[in-house]
Amino acid sequence: MKTGQNGAVLGLLVLAYGVVPMLWGHDPYVMSLLVAALIIGGVALPWALLGNLGGMVSFGHSAFFGVGAYTSAILSMKFAVPVPAAIVLGGVGAWLASLVMLPVLRLKGPYFALAILAYARIFEIIATEWSSLTGGSGGMSSIPTVPAAFGFDFGSKLGSYLLILTIVLLFAAAYWALRRSHYGVALRAMRESEDATRVVGVNSTLLKSLMLFVSAFMTGIVGAFNAHYINFLEPDYAFNGVWVMLPIVAAIFGGYRTILGPLVGAVFVYLVDQLIFKSLLPSGHQLVLGALLVAMIIFSPRGLLTLAQRPFGRGWHA
Amino acid sequence: MTELISQALYSGLLQGGSYALIALGLALVFGTMKVINLAHGELVLLAAYIAYTVESSYGLNPIFAIPVALVIVCLTSVAVYFLVGMVKVDRELNSLILTYGIGIMLSNAMLLIWKADVRSSSSSWFQEAFVVGPLFSMRSELLFFAISVVILAALWWWLSRSWYGRALRAVSSNRDAAKLMGIAPAYTELVSFVVAGVLASFAGVALYSYGVIQPAYGNVLTVKAFIITVLAGVGSIPGVLLGAVLLGVAEALTVTLASSALQELVGMMLFLLVLFVMPSGLFGAVRRRG
Repeated sequence: MKTGQNGAVLGLLVLAYGVVPMLWGHDPYVMSLLVAALIIGGVALPWALLGNLGGMVSFGHSAFFGVGAYTSAILSMKFAVPVPAAIVLGGVGAWLASLVMLPVLRLKGPYFALAILAYARIFEIIATEWSSLTGGSGGMSSIPTVPAAFGFDFGSKLGSYLLILTIVLLFAAAYWALRRSHYGVALRAMRESEDATRVVGVNSTLLKSLMLFVSAFMTGIVGAFNAHYINFLEPDYAFNGVWVMLPIVAAIFGGYRTILGPLVGAVFVYLVDQLIFKSLLPSGHQLVLGALLVAMIIFSPRGLLTLAQRPFGRGWHA
Repeated sequence: MTELISQALYSGLLQGGSYALIALGLALVFGTMKVINLAHGELVLLAAYIAYTVESSYGLNPIFAIPVALVIVCLTSVAVYFLVGMVKVDRELNSLILTYGIGIMLSNAMLLIWKADVRSSSSSWFQEAFVVGPLFSMRSELLFFAISVVILAALWWWLSRSWYGRALRAVSSNRDAAKLMGIAPAYTELVSFVVAGVLASFAGVALYSYGVIQPAYGNVLTVKAFIITVLAGVGSIPGVLLGAVLLGVAEALTVTLASSALQELVGMMLFLLVLFVMPSGLFGAVRRRG
């Protein structure tokens, strides 16, 4: 990392951990907006990881989000697993769900994207029909919140904010490390030419599956966190297409080839959507997001962050 | 029990007609442009909502909505074509995301205009029973099945006999060679989007005439169309028709023998099975594996 980047990252950390809680820490409305935005960012980042490193566009990340949420909720409510462990196991659940998707990796490009969309529906139907475990379409309520620890209440709005912020930043760090590792090098080479990379002895299918696993695991954790944050789940909510749509818009907007792009994009897109579009168009406000997505793909497919911040953007490219 | 099963087979067959129209539209565009139009289901749904408006606001039979739907849906389809054409870098993935975005726009626009309520036709003429021996169907189902078969036959004739149809197939199978033979690929792509719009218009009006629609349904339709093309293996019209009937029958049998909630699941299972066992589809020899 160059010094300029170090400074920018440091500034961002000070802003996120210091300035924001100091200014708005006691305003539940602002905090809940930020938590929701970070949850979107927490899905946008693994989505972009899969797209950038794995070369796969997924329209089915809502499956991982929902599976993570349900795994964690069921474990904590029916099997008395402590919430923090349950959240991690939610990620494991989403990883297991991604195992089922492995045969889809045989398909390329558009076929993969659509097959994974079909998978998302399968998991939603299972969650609705397996009512003895999931409560069916009625859903599950009073899911326990994250308990207090070290004398700090992580169930509060401020606590949830700090927790999801930390989770998301850990993801970003993991993404960064992954990209610098020899896996990252091989994956970058695969993007140039998958055949050539295979010839020099890289198992491209294995690497792609690894990216799918990492992406699913991260998404599952965020889904699980969300379940304990809102304390309620129903299939229609947990597997809603919105959990993949908003992250896609966010990642494309911020630049899905960068690490911070999806996060910054998520905060921006979510806040603008909630504060402006939603007040203008209460029921169909996602129309604007769709239009934004279309405009970004046509005019600036690499994202706004890369355009606006050249020196910052370049180093963060894969 | 046998009656139930034969009835399910029959209903599935009729449903297969409009499924085939939807799937073919998707397959044609994919053939010429190598782009999966994720907004395709929304185009079908748009036609269905136009049928709803024609029926509820003007009191006409939904079938009269077809001309209006043709105009609006084909124009929308052409708009999608031009937007896809504007994608410059990383076309395969970016055009997917683009059509996904268009799908979001369309479904939310429909939500704004027609609200989230579930709609279905109130035409009593359409809903009247039509009994063939032991088999039962609504008039609308049989009528639109007949229309679908006629369209499919016409399309088959067009693709195999007419100049434009041959050009379209030529571009699908080898774009560069087609260029050398004096075919303008851009024009052919445009034609494929228009034909997809035509197919979507008929399919949409059909869906409204015998089924229920709501704004979120477009996504489901796209997935179904995709499942059919995987079942069929991209390439042949008879293959798509068979794949569509297979999906229709499988869904109808599930509803009869198990529960309607599992209807969507069976299509997915069929799809996965085909993916595992014969990845190039049941009827196609086109290479798809990476």
